[in-house]
Amino acid sequence: MATSFATKRLSKELNKINGQLPPGISLVKADDFQEWQLDIKVLDNNPIYLNQTYRLMFKFSSSYPIEPPEVTFLACPDRPIPMHPHIYSNGIICLDLLGMQGWSPVQNVESICMSLQSMLTGNTKNERPEGDQQFVANNRRRPRDIDFYYHDNTV
Amino acid sequence: MAGQDIPTDPAKALEYKEKGNKCFQAGDYAGAEELYSQAISYDPKNSLLYTNRSLALLKLHRFALAITLSQQCISLSPPPSISLKAHFQLAQAQIALHHPSEALESAKIAHALCVEEVIVGGKGANNIGPITELVLRCKKELWEVREEERLRGRGGLLSELIAGLERDREAYVYVLRGEGKENEVEKVEERYRGKIEELRRTFELAGYNAQEAKKRKVPDWCLDDITFSVMLDPVVTKTGQSYDRSSIMEHLKRSPTDPLTREPLRVEDLRPNLALKAACEEFLEENGWAVDW
Repeated sequence: MATSFATKRLSKELNKINGQLPPGISLVKADDFQEWQLDIKVLDNNPIYLNQTYRLMFKFSSSYPIEPPEVTFLACPDRPIPMHPHIYSNGIICLDLLGMQGWSPVQNVESICMSLQSMLTGNTKNERPEGDQQFVANNRRRPRDIDFYYHDNTV
Repeated sequence: MAGQDIPTDPAKALEYKEKGNKCFQAGDYAGAEELYSQAISYDPKNSLLYTNRSLALLKLHRFALAITLSQQCISLSPPPSISLKAHFQLAQAQIALHHPSEALESAKIAHALCVEEVIVGGKGANNIGPITELVLRCKKELWEVREEERLRGRGGLLSELIAGLERDREAYVYVLRGEGKENEVEKVEERYRGKIEELRRTFELAGYNAQEAKKRKVPDWCLDDITFSVMLDPVVTKTGQSYDRSSIMEHLKRSPTDPLTREPLRVEDLRPNLALKAACEEFLEENGWAVDW
């Protein structure tokens, strides 16, 4: 094929995103079709995330959206990694819909941002996942290759 | 091509074909083309050899000859999987030479054959993505041709109307001069200049407004939720959601689940959505640009 599956679909997503994004989501960088960055904010008054903005990094393979993108939080000045029992302190997110099993090609960058917003909104625990220090110190794998153990489905 | 008097020798043909395949894989398309041509001369009834040679010709951008080879292949009434290849290659060569209506016909046959392959699980099923893309490209090029004609037609109408006004003016001036009213000629000419100016402005405005009114937006109902492209061959799952056959196939290869519910979903569960297909076709007829929105 002349242009890859991913490029075509992402250029259409970008068209849409440049037009309008839901509240609390903004595009930071989309210079190519391999890596994008977006900022998200939690919209309610959840004290854990009050007045904070978080940066997300999307990495797309050439078979996106058949394959899920790799989505992580990125730490930079004024952009911490949000506290959450499913978010490791290195920014790796443990979310069903981003895994090979839970992913569906009808998801898109905007819907992922919204899912992450609501994942934060609904959270009441100001803590990291169990074994965070060890995971962060030892993990060399890419997020999509990790079989997360969903030990606590209440959050 | 070698002479017609070469005795048929399928074994020798196969030998040449194998050599040709090696050249092709190494990227030596000219060498491969030559060898496939030899192979055909030893076994002119073997339809597969024609598709091999025509593929090499496509790579060499020798489109006219590729068309001939594909057509020769098709005239041998080959089995469906080879006929599919031949029509697909024929369409590619035709579109490369800017014959969109012929290309569309060939691509549509290739698509229909490919859907058959999808249903029986044949090897040709893998081509559904590129073939779908080609059919859409042909539709877009056809639309461009029609659009150009339409614009030219409108330009033609404008010049006819202006010529008519100019004829009126000349007749008027002729009469005035005949009556010796030379002092009124200037005024009449001024009035006609105004009319022609007004006419031009009106046409410009009409063209502009027509484009503005057609805000070039693709309605959601004709878009596939996986590729975000206009659907060519929508198929529906039991949730009622439709996808283009090519993209849902791509998804099912990775995960045999319904994209919305994640319930098990098999190729056999997909049903064509004929009404939506007709609607998408009609939309593309008028809006060929939407192929690349």
